[in-house]
Amino acid sequence: MTPGEDEARLRAALADAHREDARHLPGFEATWASAQRRPDRRTAWRWAVLSTALVAAGVATWLVARPKPVPAAWPTVATRWVGPTDFLLETPDLVTLRSVPTLDPRGLP
Amino acid sequence: MASVELERQIAALHPASFAWALACTRWNATEAEEVLQSAYLSVLEGRARFDGRSAFRTWLFAVVRNVAASARRRRWLESREPWKQLLGGPGPDPAEPVLAEERGARVRRALGTLPARQREVLDLVFFHEMTVEEAATVMDVSTGTARTHYHRGKLRLVALLGPEDST
Repeated sequence: MTPGEDEARLRAALADAHREDARHLPGFEATWASAQRRPDRRTAWRWAVLSTALVAAGVATWLVARPKPVPAAWPTVATRWVGPTDFLLETPDLVTLRSVPTLDPRGLP
Repeated sequence: MASVELERQIAALHPASFAWALACTRWNATEAEEVLQSAYLSVLEGRARFDGRSAFRTWLFAVVRNVAASARRRRWLESREPWKQLLGGPGPDPAEPVLAEERGARVRRALGTLPARQREVLDLVFFHEMTVEEAATVMDVSTGTARTHYHRGKLRLVALLGPEDST
């Protein structure tokens, strides 16, 4: 069989396969109208994106604007370290040691 | 393209598009109608837009083919949902041709055994009278690939049809 004969045969075979197509062909108007009636997936997608964005914005606002917990004040005792040998500094002349003597400039020569 | 003109062109190609949808769905008429509806919806929603880079028919057939492929993938996923198998067992194969008893059923069965791309290229070339280049555009493959599928498909279909169909 030549390639040309093969092609003619296949053309006829495909025509046979499609011979009954018209019997099942839906009307164009009905198909077109059904397509128009179907929910717009683009609109649904936009709504989904918008809703997600709104939820995300809400969560972000709450995170930023929520009242910050006040940090607990450190107890004074805990922040003032007392060494075990501090008592050695408690001498009778503590006042003298802690005060800085000032010199009266008028008394200077 | 104006929507009225678009609708007019689609209407003119409606029978050919349905025939192509049938070929893409292995001659399942219900499925082909759904595919065509979804393809029209893609056009209406602007998801599929004709940009004039190919003939209008080539573009529309490519849209139909893409929609059919998506539907096939969705069906495949649905058929693998484990709860469906637990509840009702495997249902009828949606790809089963519903027109099996009609004339040409033997050719359709033979076509059904071919790989999808071979079947598609043969249908586009021998029924829709497209060139292999146009078929390649519809199938979104290179011309060389389409030509390979065309030659392999031709040889295989001739062998499948057997000598009795030679008249």
